[in-house]
Amino acid sequence: MSDDKDEVKKHTIEIPEITRVEGHSAVQIEIANGKVQNVMLDVFEGTRFFEKIVLGHNYEEIPHITSRVCAICSTGHVLAAAFAIEKIFGIECDELTTIFRRVMHLGMFIESHSTHIYALALPDFVGATDLLDFASRFKDEFSNWTQLRNLGTQIQSVIGGRPFHPVNLHVGGLSSIPGKDKLASLITQLEAARPLALDTCQLLMRFKPPIERTSEPVFMALIPVDGKYGYFGNKILSSHGFMADVSEYKQYLNEKAVWYSHAKRSSIEGASLFVGAMARLYLFNDILKGEASNIYTSSPLAKGDHNSIWNNLAQSIEIVQAIDECIELLRVLLERYQDAKAVNKSNLKMKPGAAVGAVECPRGTLYHFYELNNEGQIVAADMVTPSAQNTARIEMDIKETVEQFADYESADLQKSLETLVRAYDPCNTCATHMVSVSYT
Amino acid sequence: MKSDGTLPKIAVHGLTGCAGELLVILENLGTVLPYVQVASFPFAQSKNDIKDVDIAFVEGSVSQEHDIEVLNKIRSHSKWLVAVGNCAVHGCVQSSTCAKFTPQEMVESVYGKDSAIKALEAKPLSSYVEVDVSLSGCPIDKNQFLAVLASLLKDHLPYIIERPVCLECKMRENGCVLIEKNLPCLGPVTAAGCGALCPSFDAACYGCFGPCKDPQLDAMTLILQEKGYNLSDVLVRLGTFGIPEAVLSNLDVRR
Repeated sequence: MSDDKDEVKKHTIEIPEITRVEGHSAVQIEIANGKVQNVMLDVFEGTRFFEKIVLGHNYEEIPHITSRVCAICSTGHVLAAAFAIEKIFGIECDELTTIFRRVMHLGMFIESHSTHIYALALPDFVGATDLLDFASRFKDEFSNWTQLRNLGTQIQSVIGGRPFHPVNLHVGGLSSIPGKDKLASLITQLEAARPLALDTCQLLMRFKPPIERTSEPVFMALIPVDGKYGYFGNKILSSHGFMADVSEYKQYLNEKAVWYSHAKRSSIEGASLFVGAMARLYLFNDILKGEASNIYTSSPLAKGDHNSIWNNLAQSIEIVQAIDECIELLRVLLERYQDAKAVNKSNLKMKPGAAVGAVECPRGTLYHFYELNNEGQIVAADMVTPSAQNTARIEMDIKETVEQFADYESADLQKSLETLVRAYDPCNTCATHMVSVSYT
Repeated sequence: MKSDGTLPKIAVHGLTGCAGELLVILENLGTVLPYVQVASFPFAQSKNDIKDVDIAFVEGSVSQEHDIEVLNKIRSHSKWLVAVGNCAVHGCVQSSTCAKFTPQEMVESVYGKDSAIKALEAKPLSSYVEVDVSLSGCPIDKNQFLAVLASLLKDHLPYIIERPVCLECKMRENGCVLIEKNLPCLGPVTAAGCGALCPSFDAACYGCFGPCKDPQLDAMTLILQEKGYNLSDVLVRLGTFGIPEAVLSNLDVRR
């Protein structure tokens, strides 16, 4: 690197294809004289305009439409929409309906986390080049993924009707109560898959982060509504002590559009946010139970190492938690099966109004806002997805990573950046793409 | 296996959509890997080559310039192009005929007046390129997907059912949720393929596989009105999952 000011050395690092849907996002990093000037993470996620698409539709259609925002977290979108509309109506589902919803939601966590860990993130760590390579050289890992993912899709199929875009989840409750024998068989499947989940944690514990973390993230997540580790809540908590009701999300998230991306940037009191599995474990590890708690305690996370790469490990701990909680909840459902009731639409008292529904999705907090008119039609809507909340933090993380490397052409840097972005699990399709370095 | 001893090549790509079809295909990869070589699947692997592909599966609608470029490239390098999912076949919820806004209006309302973001009206693949096989569904049914792949591997065009969901519903011996429970079921005008999922869960079909062949929309509208649903809600519901505006505008109540 020259000290001559007239010879400013400029580099641009481009990652042309990193996104939730391939080809729809890019990263560009501008470097001058060894300092990162600019990191631009271009996320195209917002181009589908769901906030406008839902306008004019009857509230009953909304969960089915919003589920189409994202396949792998469709259950989360269905529930966030249902929660918002139920708040407008001033109704709360009965306890057993909520338990069915919880089990369904945990099924999504198992499917989503295992697919991210095994099919998207793991090939980075084991050095697999493509799917065939991964499936043939890493038979055990491929089979673990298949079994864990099947478990998640089975749970969602039994309760929701299919692996994603559920048909049995509606505003007010379920249209049909799943058969008792099917619920019982889920317990057997959960127990059989449990050892694989434990192995997954141990496997991820072994992969050391390729780069060191330099600044501490600000974590944020929903406070679980019943004091147990979980994903439903109405209040938000951050690691620097910020607390608020989700209805105030517009104020505290401070969303801003940036010219180079379709995803807006969120921040909380000026700091960039980290939402998702690692955030939840940071904030609520004290209410984890059983084996999940033991694994957390023995992990680098408990020692205060918050390198983003450990988000993969955090997800694996949540799979263990999800399996144990599912077994517990399904036993309750079986014991009280005769009390379970499908939704009676004639009891749903429609009201005009506006409300915010939020839920923790695999990748972090998801917000849905709706306003309904007297006819039960949507007149205003807004959604904030977890990936949009994480983008500013990812940019900051990229900057810190690049600054630790002297050689911008290094293959290690390219690999590290992709591994890093992938660890945030920025929605599902941020898979495996080429990084290219060009000079200006 | 091809005559030169190699496996046929497939490509799996997503344009603008929810990645649902990519997920269905990813989750059935174990089943298809013995028969094909995955030449390109950027969602799931790092080494991708789109040249000389035998079968390309494309999900998502065309909603931005970049989608057109990708689609043209895939079309020119593949023998069979299969549109998978409602987005690719009909445009799905993004082309919902309800509140119609121009792409510019949508950009301004979401990103502000000065935004440089460009969007196109969401369109199915067939608006831009020739499509050989259309497999709808939101998401696609995995058995239908495997059947399409198996047919094409034998160089046969697959049979894809275009009858209404009611056919599958009767085969499952479900009670009719429209007639008996007065639910706003769109089964009579929606393409089968799902196995009549919603009615099997005591819910009304909401049309996620798109229209069946020759959908009897006038009769559908009439019966829902007779059941007490207001016309505006019925028209919105009919247009939510990809029935073309042109078809809807032919309705008696619209003329």
